[in-house]
Amino acid sequence: MPSVTELREIYEEMVTARRYEKRLQEEYLEGKQPAFDISAGPIPGELHLAAGHEASAAGVCQHLRDADTVTAPHRPHHIAISKGVDLNRMTAEIFGRRTGLSKGKGGHMHLFDPDVNFACSGIIAQGCPPAVGAAMAAKKRNTDEVAVAFLGEGAIDQGGFFESLNLASVRNLPVVFVVEDNDWAISMPKERVTDVSNGAQRAEGHDMHGVRVDRDDAVAVYEAAAEAVGRARDGNGPTILEVQVHRRMGHFMGDAEGYRPDEDVEAAEMRDSVERLAADLRKHGVDDDELTAIRDRASARVEEAIEFAKEQPEPDPEEAYEDVFTNPPAGATGGED
Amino acid sequence: MSETPGEPVATERELTMSRAMVEAISSEMAADEEVFVMGEDVADYGGIFDSTQGLLEEFGRDRVMDVPISETGFIGAGVGAAQAGMRPIVELMFADFFGVAMDQIYNNMAKNTYMSGRSVSVPMVLTTAVGGTYNDAAQHSQTLYGTFAHLPGMKVVVPSNAYDAKGLMHNAIRDDDPVVFMFHKRLMGLGWMPAPEGPKTPVPEDDYTIPFGEADVKREGTDATVVTLGLHVHRAMEAADELVDEGIDTEVIDLRTLVPLDAETVLESVRKTGRLVVVDEDYRSYGVTGEIVARAAEDALADLEAVERVAMPDVPIPYARPLEEEVNPGVEDIAAAVRATR
Amino acid sequence: MTGARVAVDSAAVWPEDTDEDEGVVSNWFVREGARIEEGDVVCEIQVEKVSVDVPAPATGELDEIAHGEGDEFRRGDALAWVTT
Repeated sequence: MPSVTELREIYEEMVTARRYEKRLQEEYLEGKQPAFDISAGPIPGELHLAAGHEASAAGVCQHLRDADTVTAPHRPHHIAISKGVDLNRMTAEIFGRRTGLSKGKGGHMHLFDPDVNFACSGIIAQGCPPAVGAAMAAKKRNTDEVAVAFLGEGAIDQGGFFESLNLASVRNLPVVFVVEDNDWAISMPKERVTDVSNGAQRAEGHDMHGVRVDRDDAVAVYEAAAEAVGRARDGNGPTILEVQVHRRMGHFMGDAEGYRPDEDVEAAEMRDSVERLAADLRKHGVDDDELTAIRDRASARVEEAIEFAKEQPEPDPEEAYEDVFTNPPAGATGGED
Repeated sequence: MSETPGEPVATERELTMSRAMVEAISSEMAADEEVFVMGEDVADYGGIFDSTQGLLEEFGRDRVMDVPISETGFIGAGVGAAQAGMRPIVELMFADFFGVAMDQIYNNMAKNTYMSGRSVSVPMVLTTAVGGTYNDAAQHSQTLYGTFAHLPGMKVVVPSNAYDAKGLMHNAIRDDDPVVFMFHKRLMGLGWMPAPEGPKTPVPEDDYTIPFGEADVKREGTDATVVTLGLHVHRAMEAADELVDEGIDTEVIDLRTLVPLDAETVLESVRKTGRLVVVDEDYRSYGVTGEIVARAAEDALADLEAVERVAMPDVPIPYARPLEEEVNPGVEDIAAAVRATR
Repeated sequence: MTGARVAVDSAAVWPEDTDEDEGVVSNWFVREGARIEEGDVVCEIQVEKVSVDVPAPATGELDEIAHGEGDEFRRGDALAWVTT
C-alpha cells in the first residue's frame, strides 16, 4: 500500500498528465477548426493523447529511479511525465522547437531524455527489444537497475513483443512489460483481434510472471508494480503487467471514432482513475482544499511548459542536416550541388 | 479542364484518389469471390487514409478483414492465400512499418515465384501509404520507393492521380505477380489532409486498366525533362508552369510504375531535351534518382548535356515544420534544378 | 427542365451527435454545369472531424456552387443550387 505521501505524488502526476493532454488538445486544435487539417496550427503532425491512461504510468513509475530505463510507444506523454522527463523541453519538442528534447527532429512520438533514461519508438511494440537490451546491460554490469517497456494491448500481438518476452525470460532479465489495455487498437476492439482477453496470460507460455490489474486504479497498479519491479530488481526475472486503462480522446486527434459505440465512450468516462484516486485520498484525510492545491500546482506547471515552448525559436532549416552521418553531399535537396 | 464561360463544362464526375482506388477494389471484389481485403483498420474505419472506405458495408467482414497488429503474420498469410489461388489485397498501414514484416515481403512474396520456377504464383496486392508533408516525423513519413523497387520480384506502382489510381488498381488485382501499390497520403483527398490541385480527376464509372510500365508524359516540352512520381508530379507541373515565364519549356514525365520501369519514354524525352532532372521524395543515395540517371547514361549518354537530382537528402525525416520543408523537395527546388541544367 | 432551383442543403446531412454549427467543404465531385441525378454524391463535407457525403437533392443541372473546396459554412447554408 502506498503511503499518503506517495498517493499525493501519484495523484499530482496523474492530474499533471491529464491537464497536459487537455491543454495540448486545445493548442493542437487551434487553427484546425472548423476544418480539421492535420498540418495546420501550432502543433504539427499526428498527436496521440493519453487521457485515461494515467494510472498505469503513475503507479509503475513510482517504483523507478532515474537510472532505470523506460521505453514508451506512440502515446508517451503520461509515461514521460511520470518518469520525470523535463516537461519544458518535452513540450518544446512537441511544438517543434529548437530547444526541444531532440531539437525539433523527433516530435511527440519520438521523445528521448537520457537524463532519466527515457526513449520512445513510434512503431508498435518496437520499444520492447530496446528495453530488454537496457535490462541486459544492467545485468551485465551487476547494477540493480531495471527496464520497463510500455505498450498498448494492440501491440501484444506483434512479433517484437513475443521475441522480447522469450529473450527476457531465457536470460532472466530485469524487465517489466507494462501493457496498457484501453480496449481499442485504433478502430479494432480487442475481441476482434485476439481470443485472449487477459494479455498477462501471454506470460505463461514464456514461463514468466504475468499479472493483470483489471480496473483503472493507480493504487492497484502501484501494488502490482511493486512486486513486478521488485522482482526485476532482485534478479528474479521479467513480468508482464497488464493494466486496464481507458481512452478518452480517440486514437489520435482527428479520429472521429465513428466506429466506437456511444456506450463504450460513456463507460470510459465513468471509470475515471483520477477521480478514483481523489476519493482514496479523501479517505486518507486529504481534504478538498489540498486536492485543489495539487491540481492548481499541476495546472501551473503545465501552463509554464506550454508558455516556455511557445516562446522558443523554431530550428533553422539548415539544422536538418545535423546529427546524422550522411553520404556526401549533404545539404540542399538538389539544384545547386 | 479550364472552364470557358458560355460553353458546357465537363459533366463527368470527379473522384478523389482514395475513392478511385476503392472503386476499383469494389469492382474486382464484386466480379471475383477470390478477391478479399485484410489489414489494420480496413473494416469499420475504412482505412486510416480511406483506402478501403465503404467496402465493409458492401462486402461484409469475411471479405474485409480487420487483423491484429501482426504484420509478419497477416502479410505472410496474404502470400499463402495468394499461392492457394486467392487474390488478397493486404494493407500495410504505413510503408514505414515494413520493417516488422519485411521478410514476408521480400523473401516470400517477392521471391516465391522465381524460387519455384514459376510453379507457384503470388497474385497479391500490398497496398501501403507513403509520404510526408504533414510533420509526422522519421517513422511515419517515408516513401521508401527505392527500397521496394530495388528488390526483385515485385511490381511497384505509385499513382499520382485518381484516374491512374483506378486503372492501375484494376491491373494490380488482375496481375498474377505480387504488386506493391504505394499511395501518397497527401494525394488521397482526405478532408483532414487537403490534397493539392491535380490528383482529383474525372474517373469513368466503367472498369479500365492502365498497363504497368507505361509512363505518362504529363506535359510536353523541349528544353528539359523532369522525371518524377507520386506527389512530386504535381510539384513538377507547378514548377514547369513557373518556368514558362522564363522561356523554359519543361517536359514532365510521371513514371506511374517503378517496376516495370518505362525507360523508353524517359530516353526518348532525354534525346529530345538533352537535360534531365529527376525528382523523388525518397532518399537521394541508392534510389530512384540514381537509377533513372544511370539508365539515361547507359542508353542516351551522347544526348545528355546536364543532369540534376532533386531528392530527400540522406537524413531521416525531421519533425519540425521548417526542417521537413527544408528536406522535402519543393516547387522552387525543382525549378532551380531545371534552371541549373541550362 | 422545370427551371426550379433546389438547394443542396447542408442541414439535411448534418451528422448527429454534434454541437458544432460550422463545417468545411472537403471535395466537390462535380463542376458547375454538370448533369446530376438525384442521390449522386456531389460533394464531401467535414463537420467536427466527421466526413459526410452529400447527395444531390434532385435531378438536374448543378447550377451554382455556393461554397467551394476549403470554404467554411454554417449549418443550414446551401452548399450549391440545382436547377431541375
